[in-house]
Amino acid sequence: MNPRVRALIRKEIWHILRDWQTLLIVLAMPVFMMFLYGYALDVNISDVAVMVEDPAPTPETALLIRAIDESSLFKVEGVVNSVPNPDALFRQRHIKALFRFSPHFTADLRRPGSPASVQVLIDGSDQNLGTILRNAAEPFLQKCVLDLLHVPLPAAISVRQVILYNPQQKSAMYFVPGLMVVILMMISAMLTSLTLTREKELGTMEQMLVSPIRPAEIMMGKIAPYIALAAIDGALILLVGYFVFGVAISGSLLLLTCASFIYIFTALALGLLISTVSHKQEHAMMIVLPVTVMPTVLLSGFMFPLPSLPLWLQWLAHIVPATYFLEIVRGIILKGVGLVQLWRPMLVLGCMGLFLLAVSVRKFQVKQ
Amino acid sequence: MKFLRLIIWKEFTQIRSDPLTIRLIILPVFVQMFVLGYALTTEVKNITITILDRSNTPQSVSLVQDLLHNKLFRFAGYSTSEASCRAMLDAGDAKLALIIPVDFAKNLSAPSGADLSLFIDGQDANSSNIASGYVNSIVMGWSLSVLKAKLASYGLTVRNVLPVEVRPVILYNPMLRSTWYMVPAFAVILVTMITAILTAFSIVKEKENGTLEQLMVTPLSPVHVVLGKIVPYIIIGLFELTAVLASAMLWFHVPFRGNFFTVLLFGLIYMSSSLGVGILVSTVVRNAQQVLFLLWFILIFFLFLSGFFLPLENLPVWVQKVTVINPLRYFMFILREMFLKGSGFAELWPQGLAMLAIGAVVFGASLLTFQRKVS
Repeated sequence: MNPRVRALIRKEIWHILRDWQTLLIVLAMPVFMMFLYGYALDVNISDVAVMVEDPAPTPETALLIRAIDESSLFKVEGVVNSVPNPDALFRQRHIKALFRFSPHFTADLRRPGSPASVQVLIDGSDQNLGTILRNAAEPFLQKCVLDLLHVPLPAAISVRQVILYNPQQKSAMYFVPGLMVVILMMISAMLTSLTLTREKELGTMEQMLVSPIRPAEIMMGKIAPYIALAAIDGALILLVGYFVFGVAISGSLLLLTCASFIYIFTALALGLLISTVSHKQEHAMMIVLPVTVMPTVLLSGFMFPLPSLPLWLQWLAHIVPATYFLEIVRGIILKGVGLVQLWRPMLVLGCMGLFLLAVSVRKFQVKQ
Repeated sequence: MKFLRLIIWKEFTQIRSDPLTIRLIILPVFVQMFVLGYALTTEVKNITITILDRSNTPQSVSLVQDLLHNKLFRFAGYSTSEASCRAMLDAGDAKLALIIPVDFAKNLSAPSGADLSLFIDGQDANSSNIASGYVNSIVMGWSLSVLKAKLASYGLTVRNVLPVEVRPVILYNPMLRSTWYMVPAFAVILVTMITAILTAFSIVKEKENGTLEQLMVTPLSPVHVVLGKIVPYIIIGLFELTAVLASAMLWFHVPFRGNFFTVLLFGLIYMSSSLGVGILVSTVVRNAQQVLFLLWFILIFFLFLSGFFLPLENLPVWVQKVTVINPLRYFMFILREMFLKGSGFAELWPQGLAMLAIGAVVFGASLLTFQRKVS
């Protein structure tokens, strides 16, 4: 390697090592985020606080209330005789649903022709929870009542489900690839744009430019240490994923490494581009967040499945590098597929990186 | 009092001279709010499905029709073998594969019932759960209609047969719109960013430029300096809060059922914690970059444990206990309850009190730390 570039790399490594607070955050953040996701991202909703209005308590309704309480979904916070104002109850007790048995529930239960009625009031504020409760309430109560009356469920169609790629439905399988995509983007794009803008802010960029070092060499020297840093973070995520959360890579590690370097390269090019348009570090940071981090989290398919998004957002997702990288990472880690299925996203990612690099080098040279 | 007025005036002049920074902080959050307002549908739509119909009877065709007419699914074509189903899932061309066995029609009337196989792409546990739930409910609906037809031939109706009737009623958000729940919560993020990040920024900037020392040799006390710094951001924060409220109501048509001034008051209480965190961070870091890293870090942590994305009830019990000290959690809860349920002081005073206690501790600690560090 060219000695000038080597000297620059050494200088940049010193910069990184000296600012140990930032370094600590860079290395601790991925691990911290993984533990946060690991514990917080449980998609199974259980023990939802509900109350029951039972105007005419009988052994039958008592059994039903117990069945509701013992279910994994609901937790009965209290049983009351009458609820004159359900709204106040929802606001004060912060319950999510109220089961209201009719006064002649037990009598209707035994009489054929007139079904016993239950009204279920559901707090729909959180539409996610509201949907789950609405869909679950009816089949659940039907089943409870049939059990109570010792009526066997009629044989219907049973759907035998085979879950592929993540049979245990472990959430780690979902967030390890996602975090890989988010963190590599954050580290690469954010740190490069910050370090280049800092040189500009301090005026040291001009000093370097009047030295015999060529602009392309400056960029190379500044970028190389961050490639290494991003690679360390990527390895850290995979290691913690494997040893703590049991996420094994079912595909080829070599392919994953190659794809990761292509992605890091694209992210660095994006960081370079941002550094050419901003003059202050805060501005670079503030541009990095909405341009790289937010789309990576929101539009890559990590948080929300892409096909569910409105069409214009789906189009937008196609220019986000993370969309392609997530497809690759999930493909390799979860599905164990290879280059045959993944050459397309890899090609797109590489082209994006080259394009971004070309634009930013051009802008960088024009500026000088 | 005169000192205070002067330093507030100085701070406002400084903010005016650098409008880009404040714009760059406000803009992303608004963009995010609008993108999320549309994107954040935890509902799952356009699920690609492939079907292998080995039965090929009127019954199976009718079931397939029911599935494909549903707007939730996008038909990815018939498959000819189990292997080709698997290949389509591998390539990502389909998320679900339904296999109807040869004896489907025959088993429908058998006492054992009929079997279907469903292959699910389980990469994303949440959406695959929902998708398979859709298939199940459509299959159930279809078999119910078959049952109804059969009962009708005996002169019976389903209502006569089922012993219980369940009537779900959705309150507060009857259309179950996610924007109604998420958009008010954005006010919390915006207010936090404005108050915490900008305050920390402006103090660290003075530190970096050495002007903080100059301020300290003036007759101003450290408390004056801090109060002067935060007052402008409190005002900007309250404006932001109003702006988010207005855009939630006017653009996203989220009903606001609470009292506007109560919101502002709770906002003010909340800001004592976020400002305190900003001041605390500014005392431990050396430059603007570290401010952003550290605050971003803290914000993500508290946001995760606030119930913003995931209900707090989902968290393990010990994590739930940790969230007791999270001011974001209370303010988010308060805003959502006020927006949708129209709750007021009568219902929300415990949350307000908790915020007040946290704010007093954090803000007090930050003032003390600042005073000790500068003198």
